[in-house]
Amino acid sequence: MFTLIKREIRDHVVYFIAGIIFAGTITGISLSVIFEFSTLYRGMDKLMSHLGIVIAITSIVIFGFFAMGAAQMYTDKNRRISAFLSTLPVTRSRILIARMITGVLAILTLLVPLAIVSIILLRIFTPPIPLFSGVVFEVFTAMFLTAFACYCIGLQAGWNSSSLVPALDGLVLTFILVSLILVKGFGLHIIMILLLFIAASLIRIWHLFTSTSL
Amino acid sequence: MNDNVIKVENLVKYFDGRCVLDGINLTVPRGCIYGLLGRNGAGKTTIIRILLGTEPATRGRTLLLDTESTNLSPKIRGRIGCVAEGHNLIQSYMVSRLIKLCKDLSLQWNDESFDNLMETFRLPRDRRVKDLSMGMRAQLNLALAMAIEPELLILDDPTLGLDTVARRQFIELAIEVIQKQDRTILFCSHILSDVERIADRVGILAAGKLVVDCPLEQLKERVKKLRIIFPEIPPENLYLTEIINQQIQGREMTITVANWNRQKQAILETFKPSSCTEIPMSLEDIFIECTKPEQEVITSS
Repeated sequence: MFTLIKREIRDHVVYFIAGIIFAGTITGISLSVIFEFSTLYRGMDKLMSHLGIVIAITSIVIFGFFAMGAAQMYTDKNRRISAFLSTLPVTRSRILIARMITGVLAILTLLVPLAIVSIILLRIFTPPIPLFSGVVFEVFTAMFLTAFACYCIGLQAGWNSSSLVPALDGLVLTFILVSLILVKGFGLHIIMILLLFIAASLIRIWHLFTSTSL
Repeated sequence: MNDNVIKVENLVKYFDGRCVLDGINLTVPRGCIYGLLGRNGAGKTTIIRILLGTEPATRGRTLLLDTESTNLSPKIRGRIGCVAEGHNLIQSYMVSRLIKLCKDLSLQWNDESFDNLMETFRLPRDRRVKDLSMGMRAQLNLALAMAIEPELLILDDPTLGLDTVARRQFIELAIEVIQKQDRTILFCSHILSDVERIADRVGILAAGKLVVDCPLEQLKERVKKLRIIFPEIPPENLYLTEIINQQIQGREMTITVANWNRQKQAILETFKPSSCTEIPMSLEDIFIECTKPEQEVITSS
């Protein structure tokens, strides 16, 4: 399994690098916003413009995970990687699990540094009450699940890349998911919806990947 | 433990409503080198893909090393070496990286045997797989398959696209390796001379059915092509069963009969032919006769 995960990471290392760059960028923007807001009191208009940038970057990142899932499955199908791996002592389920672990690792590469920075900043700039740590947990759980849900949609779209409709369906679904988060915000109700969505997606991908010809 | 390494039971496969395999039954005993023949699109690769679990069957059951193809565990897969049609290697990888991947994923790996093959084939490790020639890819694929010292080796048209010299080299090395280690081999090819050199049992697929399944020597003995000259116009019906092909030209009749025996010879003699001579048949001749429409089924008794 470790070999399969290592192979996936090496083949899709660009997504990990992009994750680190985006994490750095978002951290930089957040620091500048907090610094300006707390010391210079420039007002809400400046804060909103920075917040807009963060939302835009977050949306790009979310679509990025859709692209990562799609790229993993598309290159696999196109280059017949699983067909080759299946001639080795590897089962399709293991290939898929290794692929999804890689996806999770890529998401964590982006979110873990952000979570650490957020916790540190909250400790510095907010009163020490449990409310804030609860908010951080909810926000990052929801962000992780959103990214993973988009990644799952990407996996399906990539595997069905021979026809245009599933790929477009995937993009529309990702757009709906991101919009849902932006409108409703992060919270337990969103986490529940995302968990249900991910469970359905995983069952669908597993069925697709293990039952079709390679 | 069952002595059949490969078992195919009533295998049926449809592609878009078209029947490709129509009730195939096939067994390959341990230690046998089985040559599976058939024209383009006959279903040879489909059988192999179903056996390896990369293609679902419409109906029927396939077993490799006593395990259903759909449930092959990594442990079982580790005992099977495979050279797929078109040498389906990961093209974007460096050869060295592909070797490392295969080695890391394999349950056992014979470094010495692999290095010997790499040296014999003169394969570079510092080039991308896509930059290798078709012949080199075939050789690399065979070396990778052999390195795991498989109990069962499945070769799906391994010499496809190779020039005559590369093909000969490939076959000779394959024979050498086969002779060294006693193993079961399912060999599928269009090149009948290759099969004739390697196989000790053959199966011929035609129109979705396995029309021949018997030892190679038995096949050559049992399929006869006869040139019969009659004193007058030949009879329309010779009342012989299992006639694969029949042609009439004037007083001369040429027939190809399966399962030729004394009874059939006696029936033929009742028509009092002027002469009856046997035309020698190579595997290629038998293959051509057997893959014509409305062929008879020839199985070992």
